Amino acid sequence: MALEIPKVSYSGKIREIVLGKGDKAITVGGGTSYPFYLFEGQMPLKPRIAMEVYDSPPDDWAPTALEPFADVAGDPVAWAKKCIDTYGAEMIALQLVSTDPNGENRSAEEAAALTKKVAEAVDVPLIVWGCNNAEKDTEVLKKIAEDCAGRSLMIGPVTEANYKQVGAVAIGYEHTVIASTPIDINLAKQLNILLGNLGVPDGRILIDPTTGALGYGLEYGYSVMERIRMAALTQEDERLQFPMVCNLGKEVWKTKEAKQSRDEAPKLGDPAKRGVLMEAITAQLVLAAGADILIMRHPESIALIQDMLNDLLAA
Amino acid sequence: MSKIICSAAIRGAHNIVDKAEQKYQEALDKWGPDHAVGFPNTAYYLPIIYGILGVPVSKLGDVRPVLEKCRSLLPPLVSEKVWLPYLAPTLEAGMATFFAEEIIEAIRYLEYPDFYTKQEDPIGGNIWLGAADDIILRKRGVEFVDGTAPGFAAILGAPPTKEIAAEIAKELQEKNLYVFMCAENNGVRMSEQLVEAGVQIGWPTRLVSFGSDYTATVFAMGFATRAAMSFGGIKPGDFRGNLLYNKNRIFAFAMPLGPVSDEWYANAAGAINWGFPVIADTPIPEILPTGICTYEHVVSNVPHSEIVQRAVEVRGLKVTVSKIDIPVSYGPAFEGERIRKDDLYLECGGGKTKAVELTVSRDMDEVEDGHVEMIGPDLDQIKDGSKLPFAMLIEVAGRQRQEDFEPILERQIHHLVNYAEGIMHIGQRAIMWLRVGKAAVEKGFRLKHLGTIMHAKYHQEFGAICDKVQVKIYTEEAKVDEVLALARKIYAARDKRVDRMTDETEETFYSCTLCQSFAPSHVCIITPERTGMCGAYNWLDGKASYEINPTGPNQPIVKGECIDPVLGKWKGTDEFIFKASRQKFQTASAYSLVHDPMTACGCFECIATILPLCNGVMIVNRDYLGMTPCGMKFTTLAGMVGGGEVTPGFLGVSKHYIASRKFLLAEGGLKRVVWMPQMLKKELEAKLKSRGEELGIPNLFDIIADDTKGATEEEILPFLEEVGHPALTMESIL
Ligand code: SF4
Repeated sequence: MALEIPKVSYSGKIREIVLGKGDKAITVGGGTSYPFYLFEGQMPLKPRIAMEVYDSPPDDWAPTALEPFADVAGDPVAWAKKCIDTYGAEMIALQLVSTDPNGENRSAEEAAALTKKVAEAVDVPLIVWGCNNAEKDTEVLKKIAEDCAGRSLMIGPVTEANYKQVGAVAIGYEHTVIASTPIDINLAKQLNILLGNLGVPDGRILIDPTTGALGYGLEYGYSVMERIRMAALTQEDERLQFPMVCNLGKEVWKTKEAKQSRDEAPKLGDPAKRGVLMEAITAQLVLAAGADILIMRHPESIALIQDMLNDLLAA
Repeated sequence: MSKIICSAAIRGAHNIVDKAEQKYQEALDKWGPDHAVGFPNTAYYLPIIYGILGVPVSKLGDVRPVLEKCRSLLPPLVSEKVWLPYLAPTLEAGMATFFAEEIIEAIRYLEYPDFYTKQEDPIGGNIWLGAADDIILRKRGVEFVDGTAPGFAAILGAPPTKEIAAEIAKELQEKNLYVFMCAENNGVRMSEQLVEAGVQIGWPTRLVSFGSDYTATVFAMGFATRAAMSFGGIKPGDFRGNLLYNKNRIFAFAMPLGPVSDEWYANAAGAINWGFPVIADTPIPEILPTGICTYEHVVSNVPHSEIVQRAVEVRGLKVTVSKIDIPVSYGPAFEGERIRKDDLYLECGGGKTKAVELTVSRDMDEVEDGHVEMIGPDLDQIKDGSKLPFAMLIEVAGRQRQEDFEPILERQIHHLVNYAEGIMHIGQRAIMWLRVGKAAVEKGFRLKHLGTIMHAKYHQEFGAICDKVQVKIYTEEAKVDEVLALARKIYAARDKRVDRMTDETEETFYSCTLCQSFAPSHVCIITPERTGMCGAYNWLDGKASYEINPTGPNQPIVKGECIDPVLGKWKGTDEFIFKASRQKFQTASAYSLVHDPMTACGCFECIATILPLCNGVMIVNRDYLGMTPCGMKFTTLAGMVGGGEVTPGFLGVSKHYIASRKFLLAEGGLKRVVWMPQMLKKELEAKLKSRGEELGIPNLFDIIADDTKGATEEEILPFLEEVGHPALTMESIL
């Protein structure tokens, strides 16, 4: 007698969300089973990777991370183009770190002008990520939404503190919001409800469950992502059936281990590979937990993940 | 609806449609049917016609079917003799009015291309802005969605003087409302009055001079109609969706200033379709009952000094206070601050003087929002180091009067007052204690500012249940006595009410899933007789928290059919638990520790568990660090039962629940309790004693063993036997 493997019965489906506009637009979501459980359901749309571009020249990056972008580091437009032309990026994520009031504190106007330049220079879907200061992000993202009207950006992080203001401009100027909550399924659900009540269409919401790097709280994010997926797929939790975004490149590469040189950490192996592998493993794990969009930094870790995706999704 | 209003509105609508037909005919003769017509720079054509009828008017020829529609909507003029319910036809006449006015205004753009500035601001001598283009709509509409501008006042006509005009405009601005102005009152227009008074008008100051004629009302209504399409995802032609969006989300109202003509009535009738009520300064008939609008429809004869406040109430607009206007810093950082004797300027209460604080709910018309009154000497009239009697009486009013929330609001006084720098507050009710430091007084702090704080914070944090807040502060002995007497009466009534409330009397319970952040499958079911296990949420808190934050962690549960009254199981609670635990648990008992006990999160105040030898139950509180008769300390127990799991035989409980009549009902109730730490017993002494009386065991308090009697079952059993503890003879707990 053949062994009958028990199957989970799914009642839900992840919403399909269109990112960007025109020929290069990408659709994510659509899953009807746990990630890569192709024996139980479908994963019709492959998870996608957005390559990071920074709005100001990085000053504390590991040499390995900086090396591929050394020639474009001060020029976000060139950087974005290099990601696409040289590394085949299918999406770009512009990280607006320099708007941080505790750092360079660049104005909303400057950030918007820069975003507009990048948005005009590339035709792939563009994610715009603020500095994680709700008040400043509100100001910055509002201005960007206005100035890039109709460009269908993905803007975030949108939090409970600023969902009204950022949600409103997203509706008015037709962008997608990245609803960000601190590793908590109920808060994630609540924010999605609030965005819906505000009038943000369901086709324009993505979840950012908050991602930690490998060794830095990844497991917390992992289990919340898992639970979000379980709720969405098996418990008919309609307000959680949105694709998830993981902004992980930034988290991995800021860890001590990713930055240490061979002299500083002689036992941790080749620093040229270390950060790349840490990023790839983090990415691999969040994919297994249900991520649909990854924001990543290093071309080599991205290549590893693309390989893995191709293998896992091969029919 | 009032017959006078109906007949006038219908007459007005006829006049306006006649005028539109005439204008259309002239335009057609001049330009022909293919000539383009519309408002500038918009993708919404003539927006009311497009939004409500779904008809895109782009050429003059497109106007004809719309006019035909107007004709078919127009009811016949009201005759003197017949009286029918005129509401529906009047509202339709109002619709026809707006369609016709859009046509009139569109043709004006053809006839006089420069009549309007078509910008955000007046240009030179021309103050009339005309329809907002799509850029203005997006930019301003966003503010309607995110709440920075809750809505608008559509003002027709003008008040008697430019000073009053400026005053009304300022008051509306302070409420963050847009002011859309049009039409004349005896040749005077509010926009012009404002310019004369030196007030800057235009979109940037939110004082929008749409047009000189009453027909410019459609620019305001068109703005609202487009907002629904552009921000609410409402499709053109979905008139129901559009009108409801506006009723529910755009806090707008019409304010006719001056004698109301037939045409104004027609416009007012139109606005009511959108759920926008009419607040007039002239004695026109009122239409009070609700129906289309959220509250009243037409309120009239309102004095200019009260008209903005009245309008805000009638439309149900929530007041927002963004800044607390006091001379000292304010924030949680100052909560724990102590005021030492040497720094003390004034002291009230704390056993040194009479002192009381009270929050009561009143009817809407009994409270004047923002009114803060000081009765008796304030800090600048007393000497350093004084003591004064003190009473703070906070009166709140909401559209729905909710006496239930009084205690919850009152409980906030403590931390809200403490947030002020240099002020210390302890206790509540008539045992409150207030200290004001010298530094605060030097910075200009006065007792009156306590009222400013409470007014602002109640609006900010409890806006969902408070529409109006007024505060009176007394430092005169006689007055304080009066408040004290009132407070005593109210406290007694409140306590009695809470006491009378049982799980049987209430149909709705509340959930709490706050702790799911660390205990994923945990669900607290909060009933009137069983508070959340952390002790921080009782049933009223659950209810208030839900009203304030309807998508939050406290949700109402209709308990439904009772499955088992002794275990405390209901259909509704079981269904809720199944869903909220994400299908991990199917059921839970509210009153049992053995059979399907509730999940435990980790922040329970106490843990109850079984002592098999004594056939009883012991309870240990978090603060008790010693060993307990079950062989484990609190910390060990907590590690065992937390995390959102069910552990039969162990239960997280709040202190308050221990004295509840429903405490472990399934296991025999309080009679089962054989051991508690002495500190916990002391804390609950009064309540336990009175429960003992109720149970017919007056010495129950004394026969519960504590740590002075022993910390093992073997040690306490002889004591229990000696005093004849009832648990020993009860049926076996296992
Ligand atoms: S323990 Fe308190 S905070 Fe936690 S879920 Fe229960 S009632 Fe809510």
